[in-house]
Amino acid sequence: MLSLLIWVPIIGAGVIAFAPGEVSGARARLGAIGVSGFLIGLSALLLFQFDLGNPEMQFQEYIPWIESLGLNYQLGVDGLSLLLLSLNSLLILISILSSKIDIERPRLFFSLILLIAGGVAGAFVAQNLLLFFLFYELELIPFYLLVSIWGGSRRSYAATKFLIYTAVSGACILLAFLGLVWFSEASTFAYDTLMGQMLPLGLQFVLLALMLVGFGIKIPLVPFHTWLPDTYVEASTPVAILLGGILAKLGTYGIFRFGLGLFPEAWSNLSPYLAIWAAISIMYGAMAAIAQKDIKRMVAYSSIGHMGYILLGGAALTSLSVIGSISQMVAHGLILAVLFNLVGVVEAKVGTRELDVLNGLMNPLRGLPATSSLLVMGAMASAGIPGLVGFIAEFMIFQGSYERFPIQTLLAVVGTGLTAVYFVILLNRTCFGKLDNSTSYYPEVTFGEQVPALILATLIIFLGLQPTWLVRWIEPTGTAMVAAVSTESAAQVATLSVPVVE
Amino acid sequence: MDFANLSAQLNAGAILPEGIVIITLLVTLVWDLIVGRSSTKVTPYVAIVGLLIATGTLFLQWDTTEPISFLGSFNGDAISLIFRGIIAISAAVTIPISIRYVEQSGTSLAEFITILLTATVGGMFLSGADELVMIFVSLETLSISSYLLTGYMKRDPRSNEAALKYLLIGAASSAIFLYGISLLYGLSGGETRLSAITASIISNGLDESLGLVIALVFVIAGIAFKIAAVPFHQWTPDVYEGSPTPVVAFLSVGSKAAGFALAVRLLVSAFPLVSDQWRFVLTALAILSMVLGNVVALAQTSMKRLLAYSSIAQAGFLMIGLIVGTDAGYSSMVFYLMIYLFMNLGGFACVILFTLRTGTDEINEYSGLYQKDPLLTLALSICLLSLGGIPPLAGFFGKIYLFWAGWQAGAYGLVLIGLITSVISIYYYIRVVKTMVVKEPQEMSEAVANYPEIQWNLTGMRPLQVSIVVALVFTSLAGVLANPLFNLATGSVSKTPMLQATEPMTPVVSQAPEQLPMPTVESVDL
Repeated sequence: MLSLLIWVPIIGAGVIAFAPGEVSGARARLGAIGVSGFLIGLSALLLFQFDLGNPEMQFQEYIPWIESLGLNYQLGVDGLSLLLLSLNSLLILISILSSKIDIERPRLFFSLILLIAGGVAGAFVAQNLLLFFLFYELELIPFYLLVSIWGGSRRSYAATKFLIYTAVSGACILLAFLGLVWFSEASTFAYDTLMGQMLPLGLQFVLLALMLVGFGIKIPLVPFHTWLPDTYVEASTPVAILLGGILAKLGTYGIFRFGLGLFPEAWSNLSPYLAIWAAISIMYGAMAAIAQKDIKRMVAYSSIGHMGYILLGGAALTSLSVIGSISQMVAHGLILAVLFNLVGVVEAKVGTRELDVLNGLMNPLRGLPATSSLLVMGAMASAGIPGLVGFIAEFMIFQGSYERFPIQTLLAVVGTGLTAVYFVILLNRTCFGKLDNSTSYYPEVTFGEQVPALILATLIIFLGLQPTWLVRWIEPTGTAMVAAVSTESAAQVATLSVPVVE
Repeated sequence: MDFANLSAQLNAGAILPEGIVIITLLVTLVWDLIVGRSSTKVTPYVAIVGLLIATGTLFLQWDTTEPISFLGSFNGDAISLIFRGIIAISAAVTIPISIRYVEQSGTSLAEFITILLTATVGGMFLSGADELVMIFVSLETLSISSYLLTGYMKRDPRSNEAALKYLLIGAASSAIFLYGISLLYGLSGGETRLSAITASIISNGLDESLGLVIALVFVIAGIAFKIAAVPFHQWTPDVYEGSPTPVVAFLSVGSKAAGFALAVRLLVSAFPLVSDQWRFVLTALAILSMVLGNVVALAQTSMKRLLAYSSIAQAGFLMIGLIVGTDAGYSSMVFYLMIYLFMNLGGFACVILFTLRTGTDEINEYSGLYQKDPLLTLALSICLLSLGGIPPLAGFFGKIYLFWAGWQAGAYGLVLIGLITSVISIYYYIRVVKTMVVKEPQEMSEAVANYPEIQWNLTGMRPLQVSIVVALVFTSLAGVLANPLFNLATGSVSKTPMLQATEPMTPVVSQAPEQLPMPTVESVDL
């Protein structure tokens, strides 16, 4: 079942790319939509079949592969990865729907997107470190090509920067994995075997630091974030959605799964510093966003701040904060996707992203009223207004981490305040004000272009009003992760095997 | 000595594969003499079939219990089998990609194939040679044929220049190598068999002598020339650029594999007394090769020079396996060589095809190729990305196995440098991919804009296409379905007595706190 999530999109990518004869762009797009629809159905099935009482890996699959390298095809899903997996399926569809109808070189574009879908799904469900790394690195080339072919005017520069940063991140992670396996004298990269490792604390710090750098580049955390504004801004809308919505989550997922999961001792020792780091990231992201003049760049910087909350929740290590962090991964994915989608629509219709030029889009007659109301909703969600999903996640994180790190949490709350500041700036300039009648002849936004934002908006509001639907899947695993850290011995309990092979 | 005893000692069956290659060679030569110019329709295929049969017989000898033949001058053990197989296959892939190239240049194809087969025989004998004279004779067979091949396009001044350069440097390095083994001969009191040299040196009481170290240094110089390791690499870029591309393909794989076979056998069986020293020297060479090869490759504008520096860097990666000297180390080296064979030959096949169409090999001229030739773009991209070690292509698995083996043996420094330099290498490989795939139609280069229509029915085009597709498929799938190759590589090492006798080394670059115990590989218990 999990294998289907990986292989159906990859095979789909192959078919779209290599199908003989002329394949029109519309048909390629339709095929991609079909595949991603199938993925969403599969994810929904997974969600309903998921055993909520069980914090362990479920739907496990195991096929021996290259045993002499300790590399086996080993899959499983738990509360941490389940929702991210579904988010991946959803955002792939959103991304395909937000692509231009007449996009250039459609076959390559859609097959690369599907390749990413398969690779990300694989990384989320891989239960073998090397397998994870394989899928993690699989993203590199498709994203590089997506940015450098379909990007904005400085795409070549942005793509190369992205490539270099990501390659370095990959090397750090590989080094940490190799080090972990060899110093713990394991003969395999299997996650459950490595969870019981008993390395000296000093070594754990080194390996954890390598991992933090590796995943920190991907997330990104300050000061490894400099690739982000360039890449997010230069990437086209669908690619930006994937970059911010999914790829960044691979980093946070990696930190939670491998950093927190494999080095609980070192993690809890480092957690005050991690919380400070998170607070700095949050403040930096918010302040940098305030200074931006380009709405896409502003959204990009907002992402840095929001990823900081996730790290804060992980550092606090209370079950509430960890659950909040995992919810925040999902919430941020949804919110960022809707913001990038709307910014893309605005840019396509108005022709600019400059704050100083945009004005009065709320105008019901000649503006973009539907788009700007959705934008208002997205910005509210991102700023953490109650009733929307962003609030739930952030509230849980703050509530959970305040007891352990009051100062850092307060700083983060101030960061949320600043978020509101720049979103007010953004909305004020773009949506409100007087529309200049002489220049505003904007093409109409078709229903097809609205669909992705509408789907996301529905989810954001629904999950905001009914957060149990978000939290119930996360809760057992989140609680178990924290329990595993607080009691040393629990780390070994978690290695108890679950012989569920599909 | 009765005849039965003599034939048992000769054990001529061990060189049956080489015999088959020699027969093929003679058939090619004689057929060309009889039939004349039109022989080109048959001879390449005869040669390919012969090489494949030779590979098949190598496979049949896999379980041989009597590897020693010709009174100890040739050793057909498992590791030699695998190296001979790699060399034979690399020749078998080189021939189909060279047919069109040689045809188009207007030179005789049969002669080209004959010389190539001679080089192959030399390389194959070198892989199994277990005696100093035998080593030198087969090394020279390989080298002299290679000089001839590099100068084969005799009307092209660049080819002549490359051949002369290669000849001069090669002759010098052969001389140094010969001097090294003559020292070895003297120190051991006239012993030429590798397996007996060490014992003789010890019994002569010369195991601490400076002469042994000097012999070692000279021998390494000779080997490093063959595998193009820095600082014995200076010939590589010039020779690669000037020589006919198919020849370069063979030099970069077949000749390099022969060099590694020689290195394994000579260093392991003749220099165990100074194993720390040779590991130290090779570590230095490996680090230099990885760093210099990868960094200089960044600045190249010619595709062939880029591949030259990339092959220097790849040699550096391969040397990690040799240096660590564990079972895993040797088998990772063999495994990487098998994968390297296909990805590098695939890359060269694509370069040949592009050169045939456009007459250039500048990287800039590849701009926008995807529109005119998707197959070539795809194949070259996959091969280059695999060389760069991008998963899930074969090269990734090869590299990870090498790094794993290196890390396991405690060579952290080497693995670290390997990792860093392979990150660097991704950049220049992907630059080519980017040039081909990303450029817009209006940025298309002139060569690509005037790209001629593909005519697969011309002589030699079909084999070229087939070998590109084979290399493409192998490079994409060999990593994912790596188990048979893994077993082949580990089997070749575990079946070879010579490699089993050696002890695990002490790490050279960064000292591990203590020797790590080797964990046994167990299947995962779920």
